[in-house]
Amino acid sequence: MANTESLENVVLELRRGVIVLAVLSQLSSEQYGYSLLKLLSDQGLEVDQGTLYPLLRRLEAHGLLESVWKLEEARPRRYYIISAEGKKILPKLKKEWAGIVSVMAKVLA
Amino acid sequence: MNLIDRYVTEVGKNLPLLKGREDIEKELKSTLEDMLEDRVEQTGRLRDEAMEIELLKEYGSPQKVAATYNPHPYLIGPRLFPFFLMVLKIVIPVLVTVLLVLTGIRAATDTPFMGMDFVNIVGKGLGGIVSAAITAFGNIVLVFVILERVLPDKEIGDFSDEKDWDPASLAKEPDPDTVKRSDLIAEIVFTFVGLAILNLFPEILGMSYFTEEKAFFIPMFSVEFFKFMPWINAIFLAEIVLDIYLLRSAIWTSVTRIAKIIIEAASIALAVIILRTPDIFGFTAESFQSVPNSSVNAEMLMKIFNFSFSIAIIIVIIVAGVEMAKAAFALLRVNYKRK
Repeated sequence: MANTESLENVVLELRRGVIVLAVLSQLSSEQYGYSLLKLLSDQGLEVDQGTLYPLLRRLEAHGLLESVWKLEEARPRRYYIISAEGKKILPKLKKEWAGIVSVMAKVLA
Repeated sequence: MNLIDRYVTEVGKNLPLLKGREDIEKELKSTLEDMLEDRVEQTGRLRDEAMEIELLKEYGSPQKVAATYNPHPYLIGPRLFPFFLMVLKIVIPVLVTVLLVLTGIRAATDTPFMGMDFVNIVGKGLGGIVSAAITAFGNIVLVFVILERVLPDKEIGDFSDEKDWDPASLAKEPDPDTVKRSDLIAEIVFTFVGLAILNLFPEILGMSYFTEEKAFFIPMFSVEFFKFMPWINAIFLAEIVLDIYLLRSAIWTSVTRIAKIIIEAASIALAVIILRTPDIFGFTAESFQSVPNSSVNAEMLMKIFNFSFSIAIIIVIIVAGVEMAKAAFALLRVNYKRK
């Protein structure tokens, strides 16, 4: 029981940072929360709603995203898109990620 | 109001007080509607309450959903916690010590006899100390809870000395020129309490004696003692000013060490003069005679108190002497090194 819990916690920790990068990378074109969730899911990355929405708010508060409300099919939707600041840091994050992947590949080999 | 609306309202109620609360509710409703629409398409079923219940169950309880938006899931966050602990470690011991000393003074002066009064005073005093410590703890927690929520993240970051920390500060021996903040704070508090008692509440320094009709109070010190008050105040104030200056500068210099030597020398001189002044003590044969039907062995008590007072003054002289010697030694050592 305790082992399963610690495993889950470690997996959550591992995924947390990855999700930020995944979200930023998908928002070069605007997406609303649910469409982004599906977009990530279609590519194999399942993200919990309880993680995604607060994360979108945090990234917006840090100036990495911008959002706007739009009325579509009589339903208001909040669309998110990467900001100029976000565009600046995304390549750096990608480079960092590539570095981590290559280092970890060596470490785990 | 349908189930989805009620759910969104319930989440809203549990959301922390933050900007964009309505936005969160609006976005949540829009998401849930999208998800339901998706389910209708995927399953071919019609939207009904059972489908909504199923979805909401998967989405989680309103409290859990609201909690994910909480930017401060802690009462006191990890960045402020070390600072919080530091304040607690200073305030609680100082408070408890000061109150213990005051209780001791009351127990010793109000009731020279081991009896119910003594037990009452000590019992009440100890109870008061526990409740004061708990109150102080609660107030400190409250202040930090507020700080955690109103200080911008950058300001909180300033409390940690990470950036300025230099491994070279882990010298094998502590730098003798660095002041010990805890000592200074304790000294300021005790000196302040001493000043306050002697100037504002000299009436608590004495012995109360109760008969059935009347209460009698014999002050501990005579008028002769209070003639020294301007000198005592001057020395205590000088001590507080020096301590505050040292707290700010955080380092001993030759000037502050000379000031410390002068203050301690003045304390010793004053203590010696007080010790050699006759009739300085309030407990005299005459003062005991004012108490009718006194069963007190006046002469015996007088001797005990006079002796205790002399011992206390001698301890003051020894402590001041040690402090003076330490400052003088440090001054000489620093000057010797420079040569």
